[in-house]
Amino acid sequence: MIEGNSTFIHVGQIHVDVAPAAISTVLGSCVAVCLYDKRLGIGGMNHYLLPFWNGNSLQSPKFGNIAIPKLIESMLEHGASIKNIEAKIFGGASMNITSSCNMMIGEKNILVARETLKEYKIRIVAEDVGRENGRKIQFNLQNSKVLLKYTVKAKA
Amino acid sequence: MQNKIDEENLNDELAFLSKKILDLNKKLIESEKAKSRFLSLVASKLNNPMTAILGILPHLKIIDTKENRFFYELVYKEALDLDFKIQNLVMASEIESGKIDVSYALVDPIEIIKEAIESLKYLIEEKNIEIKIDSKIKQKIVTDPKKVYIIVKNLISNGCRYGFENSLLWIELDIKESMFIIKVKNRGDAPNVKYKPEVFTRFAKDASGEHGLGIGLSVVREICQRLDGTIDYEAEDEFVTFVVKLPFDEEMIDSQAYGSNEFLFESFDDAIEL
Repeated sequence: MIEGNSTFIHVGQIHVDVAPAAISTVLGSCVAVCLYDKRLGIGGMNHYLLPFWNGNSLQSPKFGNIAIPKLIESMLEHGASIKNIEAKIFGGASMNITSSCNMMIGEKNILVARETLKEYKIRIVAEDVGRENGRKIQFNLQNSKVLLKYTVKAKA
Repeated sequence: MQNKIDEENLNDELAFLSKKILDLNKKLIESEKAKSRFLSLVASKLNNPMTAILGILPHLKIIDTKENRFFYELVYKEALDLDFKIQNLVMASEIESGKIDVSYALVDPIEIIKEAIESLKYLIEEKNIEIKIDSKIKQKIVTDPKKVYIIVKNLISNGCRYGFENSLLWIELDIKESMFIIKVKNRGDAPNVKYKPEVFTRFAKDASGEHGLGIGLSVVREICQRLDGTIDYEAEDEFVTFVVKLPFDEEMIDSQAYGSNEFLFESFDDAIEL
């Protein structure tokens, strides 16, 4: 049972909260990075659609390389310490594995998460990424656990 | 066997190229950071005083002379215009910060359009543009009124700004195939861009020097996407039509029940814990 705020986030959103609270989302080829500062119970999640910002549109967090640094920044603003932050990553499913034109968005989304977190020296302590299933996740900040269920049909 | 090797090579190549793009993109983000910071600064520092000015202006008691009225109208016009620009910047900054939230309510779309027209009245008068609203929607609909307001205000403002003087501007509202459709059509030259998507690019380098902040349509596109909708335009024979399509759920009239809340009530029994 979730105590405190329960927030659902969509593509391009970032949410940081303090326990007791929960953040949830639904993912297809999108990726969500969950960050957590165990000492302070501060946790946050983003949900991005594409790996790279295209340089033209607004620097919105629907792009992985914008969303992850912004999530980290937001965690730090809430008082988290970079040394104590751990990460969990989810999503990045291949929407249509037989299609040659799906550009492997899911794969690239996962790669951006791994590379960016590595750069900030944030350890990935759990992940469930790739494959063909969409995922529903609920990040409980009280125990830093993520509940995950596969959806029947993959979502964007 | 060969297929497996090919696949591995492809994956290596993909990883290599993606890392390369990530690296190059980082430099691009860095160089654009100033713009982004400026955006959020402007949004937060200008918004409050502007709201105060607009709140106070109608209560000013002026000595009613022709000259005073002229100056009052001038100040009011400029304040409205500035407020519009600030609202776009605030929205852009919200989008960039990832804090953009959708708030659904039961609204009359005509009311939203009338409100947008009212706030653009000086621009409309200046270009002597006549506005015709044709709505096939008879009922109230569930949507995010603030976002729809920003969408239509930008489209009407652009239609007036880039439309010919003394011309007509048509606004059409319809519901087709579970989509709420807003069309804004004006007489004017087609947007001066090489490729269509450039119209929705922020700070696009426009050939004509009369461009606004270059942020309006990029904000509109982001809002449409956030509402799971689309925006596009057609330009033909001196007519430019912008078409916005937003999802419309006929059965959904209770704003409390709308959206992702349903998801939260679903059980996480048998879920994997990570």
